[in-house]
Amino acid sequence: MKRSLTLSLLLGMSVFAADYSSVIEVPDAAKIIQKDLLPPLGVNKMPTECITTDSKAIARGAYIFHNLNGENAKGNAPEGLSKTVENGKPKQYGNCVACHNIEGAVGGGNIGPDLTNYTEVFVKTGVRDAQYVYAKIADPRVDNPHTDMTVNLTTKLFNEKEICELASYVLSKK
Amino acid sequence: MRKVLQIALSVLVASSLAYGSEQFSMSDADRALYEELLDNNPADMMLASGSEHLDALGGTASLAKYLEQSKDSLASYLAGFPRYIDKYKSVVSIDQMLQAFMHDSGKKPYALKSSDMFDISSYVKSIANEQPINIDINANEHMKKAYALGKEVFNTRRGGRGLSCYNCHNPGVVGRILRTQPLPDISAKGNASAATWPAYRMTKSNLATLQKRFQGCMENALLAVIPLGSKEMTALEVYFTHEAKGAPIAIPGLKR
Ligand code: HEC
Ligand code: HEC
Repeated sequence: MKRSLTLSLLLGMSVFAADYSSVIEVPDAAKIIQKDLLPPLGVNKMPTECITTDSKAIARGAYIFHNLNGENAKGNAPEGLSKTVENGKPKQYGNCVACHNIEGAVGGGNIGPDLTNYTEVFVKTGVRDAQYVYAKIADPRVDNPHTDMTVNLTTKLFNEKEICELASYVLSKK
Repeated sequence: MRKVLQIALSVLVASSLAYGSEQFSMSDADRALYEELLDNNPADMMLASGSEHLDALGGTASLAKYLEQSKDSLASYLAGFPRYIDKYKSVVSIDQMLQAFMHDSGKKPYALKSSDMFDISSYVKSIANEQPINIDINANEHMKKAYALGKEVFNTRRGGRGLSCYNCHNPGVVGRILRTQPLPDISAKGNASAATWPAYRMTKSNLATLQKRFQGCMENALLAVIPLGSKEMTALEVYFTHEAKGAPIAIPGLKR
């Protein structure tokens, strides 16, 4: 008896208390975020024959460095680099210049260090080596878990070959 | 209100001097336009249309009554959104509250992303102009949770470039240059984001809400864009609004 009374009270309440779940839009975002999360840092060992002086590879690295994506990039992409991906959407590039100054930078940012004359300043002084440059571009958490730099290999934005081209460009004589 | 915008402008000009005009995002022509628009914000027209939408629902008086506020307390109450409303059993932004208000007034609610909703919700927030933001993230468990979630979403690295909001909006990088654009201080005096959105965006020629602006950064930085009104979006708004607590509301803002 007591039980059914409580039940009917509850029923009554749900009749009177308006249910706003069909009135107020609250779409789900948890799944979108879950799928979008950054995987943990892995080991990014530089492939053999990664750093090259091949001018075509360096040209690709430079193009990826200085542009945001295939849609807003000016001029033709260098040989071996596409402006679009399979589904026809613009290919994303590195937009490294948004944060770094470097030789020939147009509107270079200053969130990251100036990479001008990199080999002279950073490598010949013994501060950095090629493996570091590769690993840093692949996933900058390598020496700074709280880095503000973009993650380029772990996110699959680029493949190992493209990271090598970027590193080759940074290390090249300009 | 115009004064607040002028402070924002002078901060912008100051930072352009500090970093050299070549790196600055606004050309002289843009800056001239900005100054002109300060006295004649195109978004005023959208707010006027929002005011008409509210009139069709009985105007400010019926909104105040619906929210159980007096004519005098309404502005300060509106300056406390997003807030937990028991009747809805959730933390809501002004636009979501308006959806419920429209429904309870026998009208079909505007969709969150419709321009009608942008107009009316911007107008309703502007009723609180000059009121200091008084969000209370400790008001109850729901607000505490929303704030914690907002902070988590803000700090979560994700997307094509593995960035979080925090990477570009932390004290260490404020004022630094991201490809010609100075990174803004989202809680700066006189220009705190939550107090200056909804705003007219000169680069987009439209009125955008704070949540819409969040979506803009997600898109630019390759974070998957999450929908307006989702728990996570509202939580981000709670987080940003708390960052601007005490700042006088100045709607519509004017942004690059
Ligand atoms: C959003 C900002 C940002 C972007 C975009 C960015 N970087 Fe960085 N970069 C940084 C910061 C900040 C550092 C400093 C180290 C740190 O905080 O991890 C850094 C460090 C570096 C270093 C190490 C410099 C040294 O100390 O020897 C290299 C090399 C580098 N970046 C290359 C790149 C390349 C290549 C790209 C594009 C694929 C890129 N960066 C994109 C912010 C950025
Ligand atoms: C790669 C850098 C970057 C990331 C990541 C980023 N932002 Fe931004 N954000 C910017 C820049 C640059 C501006 C100023 C742009 C302009 O002047 O229009 C900005 C502006 C804003 C503004 C407007 C500030 C104001 O009141 O004028 C808001 C709000 C904002 N961002 C929120 C976010 C949120 C939320 C996220 C994460 C989901 C985020 N941002 C991620 C770079 C970034």
